[in-house]
Amino acid sequence: MLHPLRLLAVLPLSLSLVAVSAPRERVRALPKRDAEPPALINISKKPNTVEVNITASVTTLSLVPGVNSEVFAYNGHVPGPTLDVREGDHVIVHFHNHLPEPTTVHWHGIHLPFESDGSPFYPIKPGESHDYEFTIRPGTAGTYWYHPHPDRRTGFAIGKGLFGAIVVHAADDPLPATISERLLVLSDNRFLQDGSIDFPDAASASGGIDEENGREGPVLFVNGHVMPTLSIRRGEVQRWRIINASAGRIYRIALAGHTMLHIGSDGGLFETPREVKELLLTTGERVEVLIRGTDSAGTKALLQDLPYDRYAPQTRPKDWKKTLDLLTLETTDEASVAPIAIPAHLRTVPPLDTTKATAVRTVVFGQGMINGKTMDMARVDVSTRVGATEIWEIENVVGMDHPFHLHGFQFQVLDRDGVAEPYRSWKDMLNIPKHSTARIIVRYDDYPGKWMFHCHILDHEDHGMMGVLEVRQ
Amino acid sequence: MESVQHALSFLAVSTIAVGCTAPGSSMSFGSSSNTAQNAVAQQDQITRGRYLVVTHDCGGCHGGGSDPASTRWLTGVKDSLDEFHIGPFITRPKNLTPDNTTGIGRFSERQIFNSLRYGLRPEETPDVEITSTTPGQGNFPAHPHYLAPPMPWMAWRHMPDQDLWAIAAYLKNGVKPVRNKVADSEGPPDFWASEMTPDKIGAYPVAPFPTANERR
Repeated sequence: MLHPLRLLAVLPLSLSLVAVSAPRERVRALPKRDAEPPALINISKKPNTVEVNITASVTTLSLVPGVNSEVFAYNGHVPGPTLDVREGDHVIVHFHNHLPEPTTVHWHGIHLPFESDGSPFYPIKPGESHDYEFTIRPGTAGTYWYHPHPDRRTGFAIGKGLFGAIVVHAADDPLPATISERLLVLSDNRFLQDGSIDFPDAASASGGIDEENGREGPVLFVNGHVMPTLSIRRGEVQRWRIINASAGRIYRIALAGHTMLHIGSDGGLFETPREVKELLLTTGERVEVLIRGTDSAGTKALLQDLPYDRYAPQTRPKDWKKTLDLLTLETTDEASVAPIAIPAHLRTVPPLDTTKATAVRTVVFGQGMINGKTMDMARVDVSTRVGATEIWEIENVVGMDHPFHLHGFQFQVLDRDGVAEPYRSWKDMLNIPKHSTARIIVRYDDYPGKWMFHCHILDHEDHGMMGVLEVRQ
Repeated sequence: MESVQHALSFLAVSTIAVGCTAPGSSMSFGSSSNTAQNAVAQQDQITRGRYLVVTHDCGGCHGGGSDPASTRWLTGVKDSLDEFHIGPFITRPKNLTPDNTTGIGRFSERQIFNSLRYGLRPEETPDVEITSTTPGQGNFPAHPHYLAPPMPWMAWRHMPDQDLWAIAAYLKNGVKPVRNKVADSEGPPDFWASEMTPDKIGAYPVAPFPTANERR
């Protein structure tokens, strides 16, 4: 009934093809995006300029059908509206903080000036406004997201509803323009009987579990909807951009009966597609995949979150082995779509040169600490210079996974537990599984400043599992 | 009788060698001009640590019994017979050899000291001097993760500082690294914190002599 390995049938056709010339304007299949967050409206008339307004405020929304919850929202939406830009665009965000607490907006994964990174060094007080300004660098086409990053309150603010997608379109995208795109922002949450979002007292038993594991909830959302149904035409290939906006949940995603063509990660496309049956999507991480519709109308397939043991034995949830459903993909009886050619070579990802590395940094993840220390904004943990290339050896010495995030600069993975990374990609998130070590290489291009590196389990980050990387001019 | 004298002489030497609670033990002699003397002092400290490890039966659980010549010396759990069933939880003695990935090689001597003095899991304990036993104060973690039972740290924490530093120095520098990955112990979500309160494990340091049960 379902067709595993179906994409294999598409691939061999393409291997002999040179990438088709990509049109400058991509066709957007708007009706298929109706389950997605709205796009931010560009108020600028200037070319290559995207000027938007974002207001964070307290509002009431029905996240779970039939129940109202008090949330924090960007422009009244959870997830917030999508920032849709192109390589080379100059972005101006007029941000207004109508929340009762300080906040920032962190443009997760974007290579930009330090002052615009929305790190805890630049809080925006309640009632204040701030303009974030940055230019999208060429070569950064990919899927990113934005969220608050205030001192010690990130987990709370994101859990209350503050997160939105950023899609950076390439000036020259190798994939056929006829592929329709879908954006899937994954999140989870937990509610009390009265509909309010459950943030237990830190001193309570469940508050303690949240602090250990990172807060998880039993209700899974895709673009703010519970178990939405998405449609695909017979034989149609869709490009899905998936963002993990959860505070602590690591998704092991699989589309039942289908393989996926994994084409990109945090910082954009790979050099070549990889066919996979499932993908691990750690917190803050993004993937781009191609999905192919079956050949028979009415077929339904579930996108699922398979069990993944990221937990310490002491705090592992009893139901961790439960498979959770994210959405239903239904093949419609619309006319089938002719197979499209997927280029075997997507783009060049130039390797960072290990012989140019001037330092090897050791980063040890302990529980709630990095290198035995908790976060101190007045302390510099790593000091370096603009333009330097360095290798970071990130070791997780405890019995639970810790996802590593570096602000400002995309890195490449060299190896994991001594096994060379089989393919090259640009990353800003890397899951470091329990008792394992990964080596990454990074070059601090363009922007000096004090950049954060931290565990992206937000409860860990908020309790000090974060350090400061100072890049000097 | 001979061994007791030995122990006392080691104690005297290690007191000179380590002096106080200075972290880093064997490495903290940078100001001295006589490196040969430092090497002797470090070797004495390691020998003292070895004596303490043998006589405190560390090998009884962590491998090798009281025989440092055993191939299993301090290498941790080998099979399920070495595991402990504490109520519903299985706990496992860890690899104490200084292997970087599976043993204690990645921990500083201060983390090992903190582990023996305060019962804190070294991988989840800051590499700083702890000056309080109250969670959240004096670098004591707000939510401590304790070593799983039956590790008897609550008794051994009463050893003098220099003895704990000597054990740390021996484990780090006097034992060859052996690769043996031991799975994490299980335990309650509070990592035994509710079992490690002063009313259950007594005060540190112990009450002055004599208590109501004792006499001069």
